[in-house]
Amino acid sequence: MIDVLLIAVPVVPVVGALLVRLPRTPPGADHMNLLSASISAAVALTASVLGIVHGAQGLHGSWFVLDRAGACFLAVIAVVGWCSAMVSPTYLAGAGKSLFTARRARAWYYTAFYLFWAALLALALVKNLGVAWLLIEATTGASALLVAYSGRRNALEAGWKYLVLTTFGLAVALLGILILFVGLAPHGGTLATLDWQSIARHARGLPHQTALFALILILVGLATKIGWAPVHNWLPDAHSEAPPPVSALLSAALLPTVMLIAWRVVLTLGVAVPHHLADRLMLAFGLASLAIAVPFLWRPMAWKRLLAYSSLEHMGILALGIGFASPLATVGVIIHLAGHALAKSLGFYTAIPLLRHDPASAHRAPRGLARLSTPVAAGAGISLATLSGLPPSPLFFSELLILLGGIVAHQIAVVAIAAVLMALGFLGLAHALIETLAGESHGHRWRSGRTVRLTGRLTVGLTLGLLALSVGAYLLADSHAGASLMRGIA
Amino acid sequence: MTGAVTWGLVVSSLAVIVVRRRSLAIALVAAQSLGLGLYAVTQGSHTSTALAVTGTVLIAKALVLPALLFFTVRRARKERLIATELPALGRLAISVAAALAIEQLIPRFGLTGAGTEHAAVAVLALGILTAVVRRAVLFQALGFLIAENGIYLAGLSLPGGLPVFIELGLVFDLVVIVSVAAAFAAKIHEQLGSGDSSLLEALRD
Repeated sequence: MIDVLLIAVPVVPVVGALLVRLPRTPPGADHMNLLSASISAAVALTASVLGIVHGAQGLHGSWFVLDRAGACFLAVIAVVGWCSAMVSPTYLAGAGKSLFTARRARAWYYTAFYLFWAALLALALVKNLGVAWLLIEATTGASALLVAYSGRRNALEAGWKYLVLTTFGLAVALLGILILFVGLAPHGGTLATLDWQSIARHARGLPHQTALFALILILVGLATKIGWAPVHNWLPDAHSEAPPPVSALLSAALLPTVMLIAWRVVLTLGVAVPHHLADRLMLAFGLASLAIAVPFLWRPMAWKRLLAYSSLEHMGILALGIGFASPLATVGVIIHLAGHALAKSLGFYTAIPLLRHDPASAHRAPRGLARLSTPVAAGAGISLATLSGLPPSPLFFSELLILLGGIVAHQIAVVAIAAVLMALGFLGLAHALIETLAGESHGHRWRSGRTVRLTGRLTVGLTLGLLALSVGAYLLADSHAGASLMRGIA
Repeated sequence: MTGAVTWGLVVSSLAVIVVRRRSLAIALVAAQSLGLGLYAVTQGSHTSTALAVTGTVLIAKALVLPALLFFTVRRARKERLIATELPALGRLAISVAAALAIEQLIPRFGLTGAGTEHAAVAVLALGILTAVVRRAVLFQALGFLIAENGIYLAGLSLPGGLPVFIELGLVFDLVVIVSVAAAFAAKIHEQLGSGDSSLLEALRD
């Protein structure tokens, strides 16, 4: 029974990708999208609940492993995917020209969207590194088209940069996987050799040099897709030029899901390299990402571009949490992952009415939203306040847990540097929050149209989710969840 | 793995970095894939089915993907000289130096022949370098194929080859990526009147 349910997780959205092409009118495609998205999300959420309830040791099958950490990632992908599908009709209604011919643009958008979502859902479940690599590569094709969907010159640039950098990065990761496969070949030499459990079981027998080079090449390759500094160049461009529902999926689902694969690599292969080098590599990526992102958070920047640099900052914080490798930090990582996903999605969805009423905000920082539209100001304010880590947002608790986890892991110097960088990031985003809400603005109050009303409803729903996460962070910190999450991941 | 195959791959990869005509570069990459495919088929017929699959896959790669790129070139026939590109000799010197440095950095990782290992890493590096030193988007797309051929070269040297599922998945991904890259190349040419990727530098902070 569980096998059927888990096969349905990626298959339902693939079927959705086909079904959305059938209707001949835009409203028909939109209705089919709402139906497909709701079924896809329901199936994925059911699987994730099963994973959380029964996944202490992981549910293992012929092609999947569903542990508690994977189940949390699956739930995040399901929720963000569903929300993005819900707002897509509103975005498409005012999207104008696109990369595709006007008659088929909507069908292509939905097809690429569902294939991208399906690959992400499958990625959280697969139990094999080689298959995970294929799925990550598959996300690139669909998402590059979505990034360039508007067909504008800047969107083409962003899409092309994303395609080239991530494809070559993944080629480097593939060389690492090949080196690992060669090293593990005496233990089978089949596809199953690259199963997470097989890697964990046999990694200690690998020569240190082989394990080290495989680990470095795989992590550096995956870092290009996660957007960790210094191989992050595509991230600000792709996030700022993609349609807002796609930006949300890229930032809140793609980056963390690929990071789940990197996390599994660290947990399974890390034991084969001396001096905790795998953890140190994660800490280096984390600090580099924070250090690169923070100066940009201090600059007045277009709304979506600011959110993109915030993604770089938060991917850095997640890398630190993984690198600290303590139960407290692991709880922090899971809370951070979910809180960042909800807040960042809300921020990108807010961009739909923002860009509709003030197209110039695609190029400059928005100001004085509180005087222009209460629902849009609420959405932007809650998103930025959460992303800055303002208490009582879940990201405040998760950052605290990650830093405390670092202290428990005796990484005092790293914790000190990270705390300073996080504080600077907080100040930058807090300044942006004040300017966005209360800065000087011109023009009349915006009419409460469809996009504004939708933003208001999303703000209420996602804010409730964020509050629930804050309560969850308080409860989980004092439980055995961290140890359970770390044990279950492999 | 014969020296002729490995040297052929390295030399054809270097040639793509040097040649001016896009059609010639596509033909070189097609020949590269074809050579690898034929080698795999001849070896695979008496070693393992995995190698036979590899060969079949590579022949498909040598026909289908270059045909797609030729079609893109035909749609954008009038390609201007790209002024921002380094001279051929400069591109060659940078690529050779960088590929040698990268190849020296990667230690032996367990393939049967040291020469094959060096060649595989060099071809992968040359694929990435093609995208760095060539400004035309079509050459950058060819870099994907060259880099993947480097990985295939290493895969062919494994005793049982790569697992069949991975082989087929790789080709599927490559077809998707190259198709998307070809669509981008056509659209970029349509918008800019040139396939020069250095014109795509508006997004900076």
